[in-house]
Amino acid sequence: MRRTRGRWRGRTALLFGLVLAVVIAGCSSGSDPASTGESARKPGEKITLTFWSWVPGVDKAVDLWNSENPEVQVKLEKIPAGNSGGYAKMYSALEAGTGAPDLAQIEYQELPGFLLEGGLVDLAKYGAKDDAGKFVEWQWRQVAFGDGVYAIPQASGPMAFFYRQDLFSRWGIEPPKTWDEFRQAAQTIRAKDPKAYISTFPPGNAGWFAGLAWQAGAKWFGVEGDTWIVNINSPETRKVAEYWDGLVRDKLVKTDPDFQNGWYKDLQEGAIVGWVSAQWGDAILAGNAPQTAGKWRVAPIPQWDTGSFVSANWGGSTTAVLKGAKYPKEAKDFAVWLNTDPESVDLLIQGGYGWPAAKDALSGSALDKPYDFFGGQKINDVFAEADKAIDQDWTWIPTTAATYQHLGDGFQKAIAGQGTFVDAVEAAQVKTEADLKAKGLKVKAG
Amino acid sequence: MRSRRSDRAAAAGFLAPFLLLFTAFFALPIGYAVYQSLLAVERIGPLGLGGSRTVFAGLSNYRAALTDDAFLDSITRVLLYAVVQVPLMIGLATILALLLDAAAARGVPFFRSAYFLPYGVPGVIASILWGFLYVPGVSPIIDLLDAAGLTVNLLDSGSVLWSIANIVTWEFAGYNMLVIVAQLKAINSELYEAARIDGADAWQVIRHVKLPLIRPAIVLTTVFTIIGTLQLFAEPLVLRPTSTAINTSYTPNLAAYTQAFVNNNYSLAAAQSVILAVAACVLSFGFLRLVGRREDDR
Repeated sequence: MRRTRGRWRGRTALLFGLVLAVVIAGCSSGSDPASTGESARKPGEKITLTFWSWVPGVDKAVDLWNSENPEVQVKLEKIPAGNSGGYAKMYSALEAGTGAPDLAQIEYQELPGFLLEGGLVDLAKYGAKDDAGKFVEWQWRQVAFGDGVYAIPQASGPMAFFYRQDLFSRWGIEPPKTWDEFRQAAQTIRAKDPKAYISTFPPGNAGWFAGLAWQAGAKWFGVEGDTWIVNINSPETRKVAEYWDGLVRDKLVKTDPDFQNGWYKDLQEGAIVGWVSAQWGDAILAGNAPQTAGKWRVAPIPQWDTGSFVSANWGGSTTAVLKGAKYPKEAKDFAVWLNTDPESVDLLIQGGYGWPAAKDALSGSALDKPYDFFGGQKINDVFAEADKAIDQDWTWIPTTAATYQHLGDGFQKAIAGQGTFVDAVEAAQVKTEADLKAKGLKVKAG
Repeated sequence: MRSRRSDRAAAAGFLAPFLLLFTAFFALPIGYAVYQSLLAVERIGPLGLGGSRTVFAGLSNYRAALTDDAFLDSITRVLLYAVVQVPLMIGLATILALLLDAAAARGVPFFRSAYFLPYGVPGVIASILWGFLYVPGVSPIIDLLDAAGLTVNLLDSGSVLWSIANIVTWEFAGYNMLVIVAQLKAINSELYEAARIDGADAWQVIRHVKLPLIRPAIVLTTVFTIIGTLQLFAEPLVLRPTSTAINTSYTPNLAAYTQAFVNNNYSLAAAQSVILAVAACVLSFGFLRLVGRREDDR
């Protein structure tokens, strides 16, 4: 008995050793710099590029490209929106080394993250710098890092205030010009209708909060040499956090999550009568609260100071070529076409993709028209003004997603009665510094 | 001699398929996770454009995991959850099984299938379905309670853990019940007769005959439930967007998922997973030892 057990122990050890050997062999081969496998397309050769995106309407633009380019076909695969699982899918495909698409939808705030993981192809090698003049300058700056160009800009999200004009005028409220007036309007609405709120503070949506901080003059991130500067806990951000702390404390806004069934229901039923949001919000409202058509209007975003008009940006997206793409030149050409060709841009506008990154896209495009949903208002005149009033130097860090989580987790805690939004901002500062250090990067507080 | 050798060959033949799959899908991934948890990445330049390399990092990922408040909170949370959920689940499964086994029970096949049916619904789908019943403005339950003058929030920080417990109980109580039913069916009916002749009533039969004899099934389902509660993942992940109280590291599994797929820190995720696996091992083997010792005491 003892003998056999001893033998088994020996075999187990042998097995374990084998396992370990295989594991280590597997790892070391995995960490080799992967050969890129790029090739140049021969004239007349037919190729297919895969493209992961979640933007509504992009399928029509892809169809248009495919009908015009029989040799370079694009196969669109719809994925969940970035932070809802789309990025996780891309990162795991990149980590696995197979299964990643040639092209992918990546938002501005996530580009440095993909860059850090070595997931993006430098398009400057394929002549992307010649395309710079076709795009709005600040959006181009969002995709250019060092000497490289790592994505083609698609759209941004200049912010304004959507509101229910019918209810506002019934209650005798003017659309608020300043954040003080916004608070007064919130109070009046609570007094006039116990079910109605001016808006929600979506605790899980730190991207929205970043937009508001951006408007207040905050600049969360910067680079000095090879060191990241983190300045989330700045007086500007704290001012915004304190302001919303006050609104929540006095029960002047809801604290339910946005983009959820409950929120859509509130929009449909007039329980939420306003939304500080980006230009692409028009399609969200029209698509999810169709019964309120004609009742909404758009006003400029409320101001902190009445002196000069300042807006902000929320969201914004690019088309990037991912590492491993076999035909990067063709992929880049498609990305440039998708985001600059007037017909393609019109199709994307109709889907509600945001504010075009292509230069001078407003006049004559699908944006330049009265909207029935907004009672015939030419809402994009408001957004055009907003677009001109955005601080253009904002940059993101490679761990933006984690920063969003820290803020979101802190906001949730505050709503559960543990601390304030200001505490959340302070915690996010400390944790973001730690995140960057954990990535092996240099960092200091701003 | 010859027969011993052929015995051994036969044993190896029977064991090989299991060992092969066990190695490929169990030992290898665990080994790889342990290996990965000992690594870290160093980078040159603010965007890593100067290159990067993977280095041996010792136990620093474990240190990072065990000093992260959010991860420790998630462990405390699932332990609290397990303290409530395990007795509740096992109690309910046992009661349902005993009810179905009772002499006076009617419609047994129907109820057995009805209780078991939720197990056939995948956890993600179950969470989506229950999610609709939890979200204010959409949920008929909340509307009814509102009409009755009760305002409840099933998704805020005080209640969402128990809303999740409700989903998990709905999903798995029927399955656990079925395991116990199977053992009840295996009890020799002569024992009941003997008990009845000795004057035992239905309660006494349950207490002195049925419960002691279904003990192994109860132990088994308890271990399943302990492991299941520690690994809580799909339900909070699906409910997260609708709730303001589920953060990105609500449970240890969710924390590891976030580190791996959102923050691209596979090494920290691996360390967190190894810690969770060790905790699950300690708790389930600890429980088995505890009940085993009591058995010996008898």
